[in-house]
Amino acid sequence: MPFKLTEEFKAKAAHICARYPRKDAALIPLLQELQGQAGFVAEEAMDALAQYLELPYARVKGVVTFYTMFNRAPLGKYHLQVCRNISCHMAGAPALLGRLKEKLGIAEGETTKDGLFTLSTVECLGACGTAPVLQANEDYFENLTPEKLDALIDDLKHGKHPLKR
Amino acid sequence: MPKLTIDGKAVEAAKGATLLEAAQQLGVYIPRYCYHPKLSVSGNCRMCLVEVEKTSKLVTACSTEAAEGMSVRTDSEKVKAARRDVLEFLLINHPLDCPICDQAGECGLQDYYMEYSLKKSRFPQGDKVTRQKRRALGPHLVLDNERCVLCTRCVRFCSEVTKTSELEVMERADHSFIDLKEGKSLDNDYSLNIADLCPVGAWTSRDFRFKSRVWFLKKTPTVCLGCATGCLIEAHHNENTVYRLVPRPNAETNTWLCDRGRMTYKAVQAGDRLAKGVIKNGLIDLEPALREAATRIDEQHAAAAVLGSPWLSIEDNAALARLAAEALKTENFCFDFSAEQGIKDGILVNKDPAPNTAGAGLVKAACGGLSLEEFSRRIADKRIKVVITEARAAAFIKDALKASGARLIVFAVNRAEIPPEAYATLPYASYFETPGTFVNYQGLKRRAEPAVEAKEGVKPLWAVVNKLAVYSGTSLRLDSAEDALKGINFR
Repeated sequence: MPFKLTEEFKAKAAHICARYPRKDAALIPLLQELQGQAGFVAEEAMDALAQYLELPYARVKGVVTFYTMFNRAPLGKYHLQVCRNISCHMAGAPALLGRLKEKLGIAEGETTKDGLFTLSTVECLGACGTAPVLQANEDYFENLTPEKLDALIDDLKHGKHPLKR
Repeated sequence: MPKLTIDGKAVEAAKGATLLEAAQQLGVYIPRYCYHPKLSVSGNCRMCLVEVEKTSKLVTACSTEAAEGMSVRTDSEKVKAARRDVLEFLLINHPLDCPICDQAGECGLQDYYMEYSLKKSRFPQGDKVTRQKRRALGPHLVLDNERCVLCTRCVRFCSEVTKTSELEVMERADHSFIDLKEGKSLDNDYSLNIADLCPVGAWTSRDFRFKSRVWFLKKTPTVCLGCATGCLIEAHHNENTVYRLVPRPNAETNTWLCDRGRMTYKAVQAGDRLAKGVIKNGLIDLEPALREAATRIDEQHAAAAVLGSPWLSIEDNAALARLAAEALKTENFCFDFSAEQGIKDGILVNKDPAPNTAGAGLVKAACGGLSLEEFSRRIADKRIKVVITEARAAAFIKDALKASGARLIVFAVNRAEIPPEAYATLPYASYFETPGTFVNYQGLKRRAEPAVEAKEGVKPLWAVVNKLAVYSGTSLRLDSAEDALKGINFR
């Protein structure tokens, strides 16, 4: 199925482009917009956006792959991002990550079969003071312990935890 | 015009010149990977770090503009240490491929390591980040991402020179790599320049890979005869075989060389290379072929004709002019070729596919002759019954030949060039084997110099013409290409 930018998107895009002196400067905001709609940026979407912005495809792909926060495949409902940098590492992040892998039965970068969880590791989340930290979608869970982590997963499974997104 | 000192030597740099360019003016070499004089400045490789007095950090010479009163050092301990460190960074994940890498011998990493580093690696081989190894990307290139130092010369070449923008750096940090759209091939007409541009063994030419180690190659400066642009090139050859053609950058004509131009050397070693004469379709030794051709010419003495060729050098065209004037004693000769001149694609490829239209024009100006139209008319009217010319030039009179059935005697290098109408074909040495002068579309005289020797028995065109004249009873006394020019008054 060929991917087409929706009229709604184009209207929004025109508005965003108008903010910048050059059309191609709107690349990142428009990618965010695409990701906001679909949850990820598909290969075909990059192609369509490149044509829309009159940029070479390779440029768009280069930008998408450079920024780790652009997803190139659909994610689970909850995106669990475990910090792997030094403060969290020393405060026990590797054990938490191992626990998550075991509990969910997936490796880093994978999504559970029920489509509920995607597990990734990320660089510093900027909360070293409350390490170890995990980011679920857009919420932070700090000073984690194995018990707290188990409780969080159970809550999320049962839809109990009200995440922002 | 800022005045500054580099390593204690005073220099006056051009306005807007960078430190690297100013140093070059003094003959001070600053190592670089990402800098290229004909591409935009990127400043990413950090190899060109230099020390500027009263500046706290080292600066990149390629991107720092020379300013009045600057005192620059390229030989201080700090700079030397920086070069060692940058090389160590670049080599952290570089594979230990040198023995099997075709870039060895002309590799920026090898050269600079020997020159500026010689440091033992502090990183065990097992810790290296691996990336995708060789893969063919397009008809001419192979990409090995593991060897890449991400200087982005190739990326900038595709976006700034060919304006096709196929390439980009994907991903980030130590897992970043050069790539293009999935399923697409790197197929612009200038892709082989990327193999030259690449300072390391990441991009290599599919044609040249593993054919010869570069240190065995001898280099002959010559000119590309692929079209009227007449790019200056260098033929790299060894033991009588040409291996590749690379551009000789010059201000007048070319920095780059197109892919088609680079492949022109193939004809010299092609399987259909002529070493003997051809009568109709049968191969025959040169001497009997010459005798046969001469007999056919003598039969029609008054109705024999000579057509020059924009694919031949000035000397060989002159030899043909003298054949007409002194041996055949005919007025039926023509050096009148006109083709639209000019760059077709905005880069190098010329509208005129022949390399010497302007040079043939010089012969015409000196010797006169018929217009191409009149020449064709005389063939069609059967006033000309035998035509002697070069194989590709025969296309100019194709229709007239068809209409009249006049005999065609051609000179050819390869069998594929021979037109179907040809009655007899005489082989001659290509311009990789014999010298010649060509005039390009800008009116610049360019010399083709022999890189290899012709096969035994294959003679330059002027020598074949000389023999042909002898067979029909006249000696032109040609002993060299220059002899052909004697008695012709070039204006």
